[in-house]
Amino acid sequence: MNRSKLLVALAALTLVFAACTDDGGGDTTTTGVDGGGGAEEGGTLAAVQDRGELNCGVNDVLPGFGIVDEEGNYSGFDVDLCRAIAAAVLGDADAVNYVPVNVETRFTALQSGEIDVLSRNTTATATRDGQEGLTFVFTTFYDGQGIMVPASSGFTVFEDLQDANFCVLTGTTTELNLNAVFSDRGISFNPVGFEDSAELQQAYEAGQCEAWTSDRSQLASFKFSIEEAGGEAQFIMEEIMSKEPLGPAVLDGDSEWLQVVNWTIQNLVLAWEFGLTSENIGSYSGEESRVLNFIGDGGYDPGLGLATDVNVTVIEAVGNYQEIYERHIEPLGIPLAGSLNDLWTNGGLMYAQPY
Amino acid sequence: MVTTTTSKTHSRPPFWRDLRVLRVVGQFVAIILVGLVLWWLFTNLVDNLNRAGIRTDFGFLTQPTQFTVPYFNTFNARNPVWQMVLVGVKNTFLAGSVGIIIASVLGLVVGILRLSNNWLAARLATVFVEFFRNIPPLVVIVFFGSAVFTFGPLPILSEALELRLPGSSDTFLLLSNDRWGIPGFTSRGNVPAYLGILVVGLVISVLLWIWRTRVNLSTGEPHHRVLWSLGALLAFAGLGYLVLGGPFGVEWPSLSENRRLIVSGFAMNWGFMALTGALGLYTASHIAEIVRGSIQAVPKGQTEASSALALSAFQRYRFVVLPQALRIAVPPVINQYLNLVKNTSLGLAVAYAELTALTQTSIANGRPAVQSIVVMMAIYLAFSLTISLALNVVNRRLQLVTR
Repeated sequence: MNRSKLLVALAALTLVFAACTDDGGGDTTTTGVDGGGGAEEGGTLAAVQDRGELNCGVNDVLPGFGIVDEEGNYSGFDVDLCRAIAAAVLGDADAVNYVPVNVETRFTALQSGEIDVLSRNTTATATRDGQEGLTFVFTTFYDGQGIMVPASSGFTVFEDLQDANFCVLTGTTTELNLNAVFSDRGISFNPVGFEDSAELQQAYEAGQCEAWTSDRSQLASFKFSIEEAGGEAQFIMEEIMSKEPLGPAVLDGDSEWLQVVNWTIQNLVLAWEFGLTSENIGSYSGEESRVLNFIGDGGYDPGLGLATDVNVTVIEAVGNYQEIYERHIEPLGIPLAGSLNDLWTNGGLMYAQPY
Repeated sequence: MVTTTTSKTHSRPPFWRDLRVLRVVGQFVAIILVGLVLWWLFTNLVDNLNRAGIRTDFGFLTQPTQFTVPYFNTFNARNPVWQMVLVGVKNTFLAGSVGIIIASVLGLVVGILRLSNNWLAARLATVFVEFFRNIPPLVVIVFFGSAVFTFGPLPILSEALELRLPGSSDTFLLLSNDRWGIPGFTSRGNVPAYLGILVVGLVISVLLWIWRTRVNLSTGEPHHRVLWSLGALLAFAGLGYLVLGGPFGVEWPSLSENRRLIVSGFAMNWGFMALTGALGLYTASHIAEIVRGSIQAVPKGQTEASSALALSAFQRYRFVVLPQALRIAVPPVINQYLNLVKNTSLGLAVAYAELTALTQTSIANGRPAVQSIVVMMAIYLAFSLTISLALNVVNRRLQLVTR
């Protein structure tokens, strides 16, 4: 009995001691420790190219953004972004290992190095950048939070939902925003938190909660699937509760990888701006110098560590931003033209930096 | 070369061959090795966290939570995280204690029923046990939540079913698929004083119990200690109530104006009921098996002897079999209680905000994962150690002293 107590006490003391003395300053005696988990500092691009496969964290239950079918094939807006990165880094858009992550595991999967990039309709916030040790790359979808109620209820404004039950996914910016907006207006409410959307949808349809709050793109996706399956008609309220800029994320500490991912995504928007699609980019015959640089004509290389004709490879494999959007998101009933996600020349917010 | 003249009573081998020394040194080396491995793992973790820029201290406990806890209107989103942890602890404690009570009572009854001579009762008990024992607890919980509440026959809250006692206009039970309302207590006067009187009554009833037991042991007179203690307690409770002029009353449940809240009486949310009911039944099936096994472990001669003495079945169980059986049952039952408390961590499946659910939510909202889980583990450890310590004391008192 004494022996095991001693071992347990020793282990506990070790933990307590180190917790007390370590205050985020790092331990200088163990910089030689290797073989532990976590991406090696500054080596993700090389690691992915060595491995020959990109580990991409995606959603597997959200139609339009990331969903898996019966044969195990992933498709969606965020999935296509993974394919674009794989095409850029490995030359093959299908060399992706999709890792389905849920709300609880998405950040720890990135922190532990299990995935190289997270592409799972994640909102970029300062708290996540700071506390989770991530960096968000270019915003790929400007969204906002909204509330959906059954059309038969007749509710149209937030005040109609005083004291009501709200179905929310725990661990998302959804509950934080719900709190912020409703308590600012002095409306009390009751958030019923669920781990996954399937249970949430069941509770919502059974009437256990009167309203469903989430990103409006997600609400559109679920409204589409509920009404298609013959359920009650749904109504998404007009008012937008928050800004939800969705975009891929990578782990801190690897600026080379960050640049690669960031520019691969921005180039999808640039291609759209130049009018280059998966069909015509291979046969571009014009003389515009900016476009020629973009397609790597004459060996133009911005020095990101990728091939000179990387954009041709990527666009031919997945298409430009507009093609990706029209393939996956327009069927949900959210048109590109006139929305926040339109090109800046059309009054939207998609403004990629020059090549 | 030995030069002393004293004779050695025994020769000691050199220390590198001496088993006693080797044993001590071996244990010492093992402890050092384990400590080194743990130290290496720990510093590896801290290193990786620092490299990713994540904090490694416990300061997150004082930051605002930023989300509200469901079914708990008075929790402000600006309250610090440690208060959210306390809410989680309270909810886990509630679910755990009610679950333990349901499981113990039901388990005891079903365990005895399984050995009954009544064929139907015995078979029903067997079906109950075999059904719940062989299904994982999460499945039972989700099944309860879905079958009784989400997809069940109950109406939504705004159209809640109001059950009234015949001939009265007060609802004593409000049923819906989201919340249930049961009668609660309201304080109409000096409740702390009443609680003080109750505590005094409790102390006196315990003293009476001890006194009557001593009288019984020394003189053989029947102790009637339950009657004495309960009588004293009830007397104090009743007198206290009268003297203080009715310090509390019964409050019937009712819905608010907008029919979305239960504003009087006591409200239970569906997550709590699904979790507690499911875990109560699940653990009861295990406890029933333990009780059955411990009753069967009582030597058959005891049963035969009590029949020879013309004791009724009830008397046989109450005075001969159960005292011997329950003594054996205590250690495995401690285990089942611990399992029940740990299984409350499955509450997120039915949207019940107990400790694990709240911790996971706060981690997904940006609190450091490792430290939050350490705090959660420490709390579950505290719960488990408390239960096992308390019940081990009971066990030691019940153990047969053999020479």
